[in-house]
Amino acid sequence: MTSVVSDRARPSVLSTPAVRQILRRNTYAAVPLAMLIVLFIVNAAVQPQFLAQHNWATSMSVLCPTVLTAMAMTLPVLSGNGGIDLSVGPLAGFMSVLISTLLVPAGITSPLTVIPIVIVFGLLSGAINGVLVAYVRLPAIIATLGMYLFYDGLGTEVLPQAGGSVPVWLVKLNGSVGPIPAVWVVFAVIALLWTLVSRGSYMRNLLAVGGDERTSYTAGVNVARLRLVTYSMGGLLACLGGLMLTGLIQGGDGTVGPPYTISAITAVALGGISLAGGRGGLLGGALGGGVLFLIQELLTDAHVSVYSVSVVDGIILIGALALNGTVEYLRRRSSASRR
Amino acid sequence: MEDLSRSFGETRALNSATLRVRPSEIHSLVGENGSGKSTLIKILSGVLRPDSGTLVWEGEARQLGSPRSAQGMGIATVFQETLIVPEMTVRDNIYLGTDGLFRYRHRKGDEIAGARQVLSDLGMDGLDLDRPMWTLSLAERQLTTVARAIIRPWQLLVLDEATSALDAQQRDRLFDYLRLARSQGRSVLFTSHRMDEVLGLADWITVLRQGATVATMGASEASRGGILGHMSGREAHADPAVVAETGPRRGSAGQQRPQRPVLRVAELTLRAASKPISVEVRAGEILGLAGLEGQGQVGFVECLCGLRRPVAGQVLALGDNGETHIVRSYRGANRLGIRYVPRDRRYEGLFGPLSVFDNFAITLWGDLSRLGLLRRQQARKRFAGFAESSRLVSASPSRAISVLSGGNQQKVLLGRWIAMRPRVLVVNDPLRGVDHNTKEELYGLFRRLAADGVAIIFLSTEIAELLTLTDQIAVFHEGSLVAMLPTEMSSDTDVVAAMFGADKHDGSADD
Repeated sequence: MTSVVSDRARPSVLSTPAVRQILRRNTYAAVPLAMLIVLFIVNAAVQPQFLAQHNWATSMSVLCPTVLTAMAMTLPVLSGNGGIDLSVGPLAGFMSVLISTLLVPAGITSPLTVIPIVIVFGLLSGAINGVLVAYVRLPAIIATLGMYLFYDGLGTEVLPQAGGSVPVWLVKLNGSVGPIPAVWVVFAVIALLWTLVSRGSYMRNLLAVGGDERTSYTAGVNVARLRLVTYSMGGLLACLGGLMLTGLIQGGDGTVGPPYTISAITAVALGGISLAGGRGGLLGGALGGGVLFLIQELLTDAHVSVYSVSVVDGIILIGALALNGTVEYLRRRSSASRR
Repeated sequence: MEDLSRSFGETRALNSATLRVRPSEIHSLVGENGSGKSTLIKILSGVLRPDSGTLVWEGEARQLGSPRSAQGMGIATVFQETLIVPEMTVRDNIYLGTDGLFRYRHRKGDEIAGARQVLSDLGMDGLDLDRPMWTLSLAERQLTTVARAIIRPWQLLVLDEATSALDAQQRDRLFDYLRLARSQGRSVLFTSHRMDEVLGLADWITVLRQGATVATMGASEASRGGILGHMSGREAHADPAVVAETGPRRGSAGQQRPQRPVLRVAELTLRAASKPISVEVRAGEILGLAGLEGQGQVGFVECLCGLRRPVAGQVLALGDNGETHIVRSYRGANRLGIRYVPRDRRYEGLFGPLSVFDNFAITLWGDLSRLGLLRRQQARKRFAGFAESSRLVSASPSRAISVLSGGNQQKVLLGRWIAMRPRVLVVNDPLRGVDHNTKEELYGLFRRLAADGVAIIFLSTEIAELLTLTDQIAVFHEGSLVAMLPTEMSSDTDVVAAMFGADKHDGSADD
C-alpha cells in the first residue's frame, strides 16, 4: 500500500459506519488500553529481560488464566442487577484437580475428549449459577459464593496440595509455536468465537438487560433466559481458564484457584466495566486482566512481599472503581455541555 | 376482531373490571389515582397476570405469559414510566426485544429504514439513530418508547399516559398517527390525565373506580361532567355510601381565624414550563394537596422541606415576631420547625430492626441529651404521652417496630415528628395502607395538632380524605397549582375536575 493511498483512505475508513460502531461500542476500553500500553512500556524500561523471547511465552501463560477468569467474570457483571460470579476462581482451580486426578488416571488424555469435557463442565456449572440467579432469584453474590465454597472445598478435599499428572499437550499449550506463544492461539480462537457471537443480537440484549432490566423485560427480552446463558458462558470461560492453569502448573492443586476470583473482580473494574452492568464488553475484562498482570509484574520485580502484594491489590481494586466513576462523570459532563 | 373482557376476583387493585375494545376504535380508560388503570394495562401487556378473569382476543380466550407473548399477539404497550436503556442508542432502544437471544430478527439496513420511518411518523425526522438515549430530551425519550411499540406489527396499541412529556405539536402528530391507524382497522387503548385528550380523541370511554368498571360510554354521549361524576362516584343522585365514608367535614368549629401565617411560598416554580406558585399557610390550618400521579405535588412538598431546589422562587418560614427565614436545606427546614413525614415508611422513615421506642425517640436525642448523655427518662415520658394520645397499640415499646401493623408504624413515625413540636408538619400521603379505624384515630391526631396551632400540609391521593380533614385543597396539574378550593364549598367532583386540568365552571356547566 502506498502512502498516498493510505493517507487518503484513513479518514474515510475511520468514518465508515461499521468502524464508527466498533469504536463507539468500545469507547469504555480506551482507559484500560492506555493503562496497558503505559504499563507495558514501564515494564520494558525497568526489567531488561521483560521483552526477551523466552520470557514472553512464560509471561503469556501466567497471564492467561487471569485474563480468562476475568472474562468469565465480565459477562455476569454486564448482565446487571448485582450480577457477579464469585465461583470463577475455585472452578478454574477445580479443573486442574478434575484433569489430574480423575481424567488422566482414567486414561482420558486426548485433547479431543478432555476439552469437550471441560467445556461441558463449565457450561453446566455456569448454568447452575444462572438458574439460581435468574429463576430461583437468589442474589448473585450469595448464589455464586455458595458455588465458590463448593468447588474450593471439593478441590482441597481431593487434592490438598499439588500433585497428579497432566497430558503433555496441555503443558505445550503454555509453550511456543515457533516464535509465537501458544497462548496467543488460544486467545485468537476465543476472540474469533466471540466476534461471531457479538455479530448477533446477544450483546444488544445483554447490555440492555444490564442497563435497564424493566425496559428490556417489557420490550420483550427474555431476561431470565439471557441471564442463564450469560452465566453458562461465564462458567465455560472460567473452565477454559482452568484448563490453561492446569497446563501452567503442570498438575492438579485444590488450593490454586480461589485467588483468581479476586483478581477477576479487580480486572473487571480495571477494564472500565460498570459493576452496575450495562456498560463494557468482554474486551474490557481481557484488558483489565492484562493491566493487573503488568502491575503485578512490576511489584514482583521490585521484590515486594506476597502480603504487600495483597495490600496493593486492594488499593488497585478501590482505585479502579473510583477511576471508573470519575471517567463516567467526565464523559457525561462533556457530552452534556456539548448539547 | 378483538373482544376483550376480563374480570378479577381477588386482586385488590382490580376488582372485576371489564373492558371491551373493538377493531378500528380509539378507546380511553379513565379513572382517579389507584382506580386500577395501570394494573389493567399491565395485565393487557403481559407484565402482570390476573388472579382470575379471562382475556378474549380475536374470539379466543388467551393467556399472556410475558410481554413478549402479548407483543406476539399484536398488543404493543407504551408504559407510564419512560422505559429506556440510557446507555444504548436510539436504534437499539427502538428494536430492543424484537430479536432472538443470539440472532437479530431484522437486518441492520432494515432496522435503520424502519426506525427512520416510525420516527418520522412521530415527527422526529432529524433524530440521529446512533445517539445514546440519555442525551435525548424527555419528550424525545417518550416518543422513542412510542416508536418501540409501533415498530412491531400491532393490532392494539396501549398507551399509558404516553403523552405526559410531549408538547402540543408532538401530541397532535401522535394523535394523527393514531387516527390513521384506526382507519386501517387497528385499535388504540389510552389513558390520559388530560380530559381534553380523552374527549377529543376517544370513540369510547371506560371509567374505572376502585378497580371496577363503572361506566362505558360512546364519546358522543359523554360529557366532561358525566365522566368526572363516574370517576368520583358522585352522580346527581348522591351515593349514600360515599357520603358516609366522607364523614363530617372539618367545619369552622373550634377554629379561630385569621391566625398568623407561619409559612409563605413565594413565586415557587417547580418546572421550567409551569406557573409560579404563591401560597400562605397559617398556624392551625390544614392545607390539602391533591393531583394525579406526577403532577408536581410531591415536588412541591419536597421544596417546602428543603429536600429539593425549585427552579425559581422561595419558601419562607415566618417566625412569631414576623421575622422571615428562607428554607434552603433539609437541615435548615428542620431548624425552622418544618418537619417532613415521608411517603414510603419502609425506606425513608423506619428503622426496621430497632424497637418502637428507639424509632420514636431517634430524633429527640439532639434536644434531650446533656453533655452527650441521653436522658432516656425524659424521652420515655414523651413517648408515654404520645402513646396515650394516639392510642398506639403495642405490646411493649421495646419490641421491634417491624412487627407492628402498618397503621401503628405510621403512628410511631408521626409521633417522632410530633414530639419535636413542629411549627409546620408536612405529611406525604400518611394514611396509605392504613385501616379505617386507625385512619379515624389519625384524623383526630391531626385535628388536635392543628388546634394546638401547628400548620399541617397534607398530601394525599385520596380525595375523600382531603375533604374530611383539610381546610383548603390545593390541586396540582402539570407542575402548576391550578386550583385552591375551600373544602367546605367543594365536592369531590370539583377536585377531580381540577386534577384533570378542567376549569371548575366547565364541569358544573355540564352537570
